[in-house]
Amino acid sequence: MNIVLVEDNILLSHQFRRIFEKNGYDVSVSPHAVGAIDLIDEMRPGVIVLDMLLTGSTALPLLHELQSHDDLARIPVVMVTSLAPDLSFETLKPYGVTHLLDKATMHPDDLLAAVRSLTL
Amino acid sequence: MKGSEHAHQGGIDYKSLSSLMIAAHELKSPLSLLRQLALSLESEALSEREQREIALHMKLVSERALRLTTDLTKAQRLDDGLFTLEPINPQQLCEEVAFEISPLYRACGRQLMVVRRQRPLLAIANKDLLRRILLNFADNALYYSDEMTPVELSVSAREHGQVIRLGMRDYGPALPIDAWRSLHEGIGRPEQIHARPSSSGLGLSIARQFAEAMNGTVGVTRHRNGASFHVDIYASKQLSLI
Repeated sequence: MNIVLVEDNILLSHQFRRIFEKNGYDVSVSPHAVGAIDLIDEMRPGVIVLDMLLTGSTALPLLHELQSHDDLARIPVVMVTSLAPDLSFETLKPYGVTHLLDKATMHPDDLLAAVRSLTL
Repeated sequence: MKGSEHAHQGGIDYKSLSSLMIAAHELKSPLSLLRQLALSLESEALSEREQREIALHMKLVSERALRLTTDLTKAQRLDDGLFTLEPINPQQLCEEVAFEISPLYRACGRQLMVVRRQRPLLAIANKDLLRRILLNFADNALYYSDEMTPVELSVSAREHGQVIRLGMRDYGPALPIDAWRSLHEGIGRPEQIHARPSSSGLGLSIARQFAEAMNGTVGVTRHRNGASFHVDIYASKQLSLI
């Protein structure tokens, strides 16, 4: 199962990648939204793990772009962000966001569990 | 009466509150990462190599966060004038900064190189403040550089040798307009946090304050494939007397 990880903090993306790969997932990383859309289009991942604040933009233009393509709009998105307490999950749901995790309080297992629930 | 005194009369200093919220937001990211790394050390089955790598990452993330806290403290104390300006060799300082930041760059698969120059230059600056400006530029460039192209740190003379420019060029996606604004507007309002991508631009705002304390300026040029940040400071006349 492929995961596209969109995270601009390089050390955090190393951390997430290690956890996913150890559990049998193939991971492709993009640090910014512009590269992410090409990567998602190419990889057609089972899940997108997405940070909200990215290099050059927020994740919102990327979410809008994904929704404008019938096939890409169906890919579930796990949003992992330190802004989670300030975001409304209900608002994000129509953009394909299935889980909203707070970087400051989550356990690495929570991320894995979220992805697993979408790839079973 | 100054604006801040007005604010204090109401019981809340909103300007300080804004700065505090932005600083808190900026520190949340490294603290969250540290926590994630610590949880992995605690609960994951890790090889010795992975444990060493995580320990290194924790050290680098802590150092980066500590740089920010020290910068914030120094920025608050700039008005005290407890720093001296002296002739310094900017090329040598660039080499020292590149050496200091190299473990973080290496861990992130990035590279910072100092562009060599033949003729020595001498600048008038506070070495610690100038070092901190360059480290801020380097921290910022880490986000915006790609793996393939090294970030370049260079020194050049401008305005007929009156001004020395220390510049950092990164190659990656174009600089967001918000980071550009943060250079000019200083520390912003708390509600702006949500509009900002990736970073509040606090480090760049502090760099601007440090430069102004040395009678210098900070600027940025946006490129199609990245950005150049620079600090301009006055040249020392000492070399011309030799």
